[in-house]
Amino acid sequence: MSTAPLAQGGPAPRLQVRDRRAAKRKAAWRRRWLVLGLMSPWIVGCTVFFIYPLLASVYLSFTHYDLLSRPRWVGTANYAFMLHHDPQIWNAVKNTLWLMAIAVPLQVLFAFGVAGMVVRAKSGVGFFRTVFYLPTLAPPVAATLGFTYILNPATGPVNTVLGWLGIDGPLWFESPSWSKPSLVLLGLWGIGNTMIIFLAALLDVPRHLYESAQLDGAGPLQRLRWVTLPTVSPVILFAVVIGVIEALQYFTQAYVASSIVGGGAGNAADPANRLGYPEGSTMFYPLLLYQQGFRFFNMGYASAMAIVLLVVAFAVTLLIIRNSRRWVHYQGGMR
Amino acid sequence: MGAAVEIAQAPAPAQPLVRRRPPRAVRRKRLLVAVADHSLLIAAAIAFLAPFVFMVLTALMTSDQALSSKIWPHPFHWSNVSEVFDRAPLWRYTLNTMLYAGLSTIGVLVSSIPVAYALSRLRWRGRDAVFLVVLATMMLPAQVTAVPLYVMWSKLHLVGSLAPLILPNWFGDAFSIFLLRQFFLTIPEEYSDAARVDGCGELRILLTVVMRLAKPAIAAVALFAFLFAWNDFFGPLLYTSENQAHWTLSLGLAQFRTQYQVEWNLTMMATILFMAPVIGLFFAAQKAFVEGVTLTGVKG
Amino acid sequence: MRRIAAAAAFFAALGLAACGGSGGKSSTTAQTSTAAASHQPVTITLWNGFTNRELGVVNQAVAAFHASHPWITVKSVGGINDDKIIAAIRGGNAPDVAQSFTADNTGAFCSSGGWIDLKPYMDASHINASMFPQAVQTYTQFQGKRCALPMLADTYGLYYNKDLFKKAGITAPPKTMSELTADAKKLTVRDGNSFKVVGFDPAQGFYENAPAHYGPLFGANWVDGQDKSAIAKNPGWAEFMQWQKGLIDFYGFDKLRRWQAGAGDEFSASNAFERGKLAMAIDGEYRTAFIKAEHPDLNYGTAPMPVADSHPELYGAGYVTGNIIGIPKSSAHKDAAWELVKYLTTDQHALALLSNGLRNVPTTSASLKSSELTPDPRFKVFLDIFANPKTATTPITAAGSANQELFQDYVAKWQAGKVTDLQNGLAQVDKQIDAQLANSAGTQVP
Repeated sequence: MSTAPLAQGGPAPRLQVRDRRAAKRKAAWRRRWLVLGLMSPWIVGCTVFFIYPLLASVYLSFTHYDLLSRPRWVGTANYAFMLHHDPQIWNAVKNTLWLMAIAVPLQVLFAFGVAGMVVRAKSGVGFFRTVFYLPTLAPPVAATLGFTYILNPATGPVNTVLGWLGIDGPLWFESPSWSKPSLVLLGLWGIGNTMIIFLAALLDVPRHLYESAQLDGAGPLQRLRWVTLPTVSPVILFAVVIGVIEALQYFTQAYVASSIVGGGAGNAADPANRLGYPEGSTMFYPLLLYQQGFRFFNMGYASAMAIVLLVVAFAVTLLIIRNSRRWVHYQGGMR
Repeated sequence: MGAAVEIAQAPAPAQPLVRRRPPRAVRRKRLLVAVADHSLLIAAAIAFLAPFVFMVLTALMTSDQALSSKIWPHPFHWSNVSEVFDRAPLWRYTLNTMLYAGLSTIGVLVSSIPVAYALSRLRWRGRDAVFLVVLATMMLPAQVTAVPLYVMWSKLHLVGSLAPLILPNWFGDAFSIFLLRQFFLTIPEEYSDAARVDGCGELRILLTVVMRLAKPAIAAVALFAFLFAWNDFFGPLLYTSENQAHWTLSLGLAQFRTQYQVEWNLTMMATILFMAPVIGLFFAAQKAFVEGVTLTGVKG
Repeated sequence: MRRIAAAAAFFAALGLAACGGSGGKSSTTAQTSTAAASHQPVTITLWNGFTNRELGVVNQAVAAFHASHPWITVKSVGGINDDKIIAAIRGGNAPDVAQSFTADNTGAFCSSGGWIDLKPYMDASHINASMFPQAVQTYTQFQGKRCALPMLADTYGLYYNKDLFKKAGITAPPKTMSELTADAKKLTVRDGNSFKVVGFDPAQGFYENAPAHYGPLFGANWVDGQDKSAIAKNPGWAEFMQWQKGLIDFYGFDKLRRWQAGAGDEFSASNAFERGKLAMAIDGEYRTAFIKAEHPDLNYGTAPMPVADSHPELYGAGYVTGNIIGIPKSSAHKDAAWELVKYLTTDQHALALLSNGLRNVPTTSASLKSSELTPDPRFKVFLDIFANPKTATTPITAAGSANQELFQDYVAKWQAGKVTDLQNGLAQVDKQIDAQLANSAGTQVP
């Protein structure tokens, strides 16, 4: 508080006290206005782009709305359709769960492994770090396009190289059982960000911890378990939370892959008809939401899907963070 | 961990003098470990680089070659570089993408820095609660608010333009606010106090002291904001797909094959051209990248 | 040349953006009467789905329109699909005239009011819908409201490679599905794990393979009398699925998929039929023009598609659908837009020009016999299919092609060998379609 100069010595007459109080109040108000001023972009942004749409979503989810006529109240019909009739939704939910259960852990493990390898390297750390980070820079649309060609079962170089080794390569994006693994591969290619964070955390692990563990006769696995993992556990939590949030809104790669691969062999019909190709195996929840909302303009139903997504996203994130208390260790009382 | 093994070799009680030359077996083992480490790394590096190599090679093939299982272009078809610009309005897409990314970045900085400042370096009631809300908005999937926002922009007759993509960035971006706040917190209070003693107002402190010290964080936020817009696909797909004059590279490229029936070789060329600026930016500002990414993970 | 056309279209699109913003504000009602009378210069936008070479042809017709209506300048934008049209209508940024390849969406355009009712304009111009053949009339209206006009039609027939036929010792194109299967097997040349030549690829989703295109060949209908989905009730659909699965199993589904992945894009010079890698294909009449432009040396013939063994009487018929064209309700220059729609759909010269260039079927009864049409026996086959009384189209629903998409999803599972009880599955599909239609109409699902 900047009242220090006023609080000089000498007897304080009544008048001065009152003045001082007024000045203080004035300063407090100025301060409030300052905070308000600084916060104003966010206050406006949060209201217009977060609170309003959230409330509107809740309202729209109880209506039938096609953007042409006014929203018509239909009660819980949209939710009932979701639970009982929508032929696509369970498949979409299953696919999204698959991402969270398989793709996310794989990515975190892989990023950790790569970071571990880079840390062990005695030379060329900078070079390897750059190489592993580079793919992360590829815009998702570009990376996906690249992979759809590289993994083309008939003409793509990957199956050609596999052929040289005598391996009959899979159908990748063309096969319902390989399309999701292909997307995972694409995801593993782009683990650079997580890898860099792991790298920083691993380099931060105090060496004396390893030394004393070594003296206690701990083998490499034990050192990993008791020294490395606890110190990088906050990073693992961070990577898992981010991964899960990303899995819940996984869109671009699946959209591009299915429309390109499906459209390549397919007819002149809209590329968006191909969402989920092949056989709905790449139809994730956000894609279905997009299809219902912005292709069919079933905006009431899309809103209902959005509300469910919101609830699930928060529940899952909370669950992970709560469970994490058991295994995440924060150093030196951080937090 | 390899380093730890190394250091832990030290206690060799019998011959303290030959510490620099461990026994042969140990040396050989150490070499093997190093080679094993590096061979795995090198293999991984090749795997990471291979897609780039394949894309570049395909980009230089003829269309027939790209449809065969040949891997090496024969002959190199350099004219693909110019042909791809004839097939689709790539310059226009690039310009739009620049516009989107540039204006968004400026908006994010201008609007998020003051918010982060208020959330980190000023004390006021409700601050922590507001910060929690910021965190919550960060977790929010974009699809949740998409429908009402689309309705709102269409009522404003702005669907089909870049405005719905750019404008929200001028009202504080949750992730940037979070990142900047975390960094601002690490700046010792003494700097600000010194400035206050000199009679500086909070705005002056923000503009001179804090922003100067927070340069790495600001650079990182700018980079992320730029990259987000550069890579964004969902936004342009929702808001500009009906008006090709406002397509960005992401959208243009995704529709490239289906709309123009563009062959694979040209598609790969366009893909490479789309990646190039980002990779160039990375090599120009590698330090900012790495520092920025690390910053995001420091506090989960 | 094609590229120049595409570039030109693009710059046209830029121009559209520059003036699109202000266009929306001008009042529609005031302008309608005056503009038409005074012939004030006006610029309108036409969205169409054509690209590359075909867009060039459309732009020729547009130029001819401008020559006869000099006060109307048309910005033609190609490569537009229905998603964009629908999004633009909802967003209030629709063009003045929109053309769509998907007649299935007529219902959506009509019932939503997205496209205006053309009846008043037709009356004013003394145009009667009876100038179009019956099937074409059906797919351009919905529940009595005519909000679209047909702009050229597509009919589907069989393309076959004569050189490959000769090599395999086949003399005439097949007339029944079992003949087609036999010929396809004879024509197929295996190459290790893949194929040098595929006789006929029946996998749905590949090129023009869609259940809708096969339905008329099996006498199969989509709906019953009450507009309820009736796929399970029509034995034709099951027969169709049994047939196509039988032929797929001959190739092996995975092998066929692998081959398809390298078959080349349908609408490019690398199309598998055009390159002799596919001996027979179901395709629209427009393919004749593509082949002429891209592979003029290809020795091929056309014929009606073979039909179900149980329905020999259907031979000669096929599937017909067409491009539809209409005026989005947000158009600021509806009179000028109508002039363009009228020109592109009813003007003899325009239809002949488009038909010759695109090799699409002209859609007025009179223009079918136009002397301006350049003769071509392979194209004539499609005019005959078009004229066949058993030639059929798909029903127009308010939910667009949702019914076809749901059925297609099921067929995709079926052909991959993931369906055990075909009939039960078809009944499920019917239920799904009815539920989807009810939900998109906003009524309670039973």
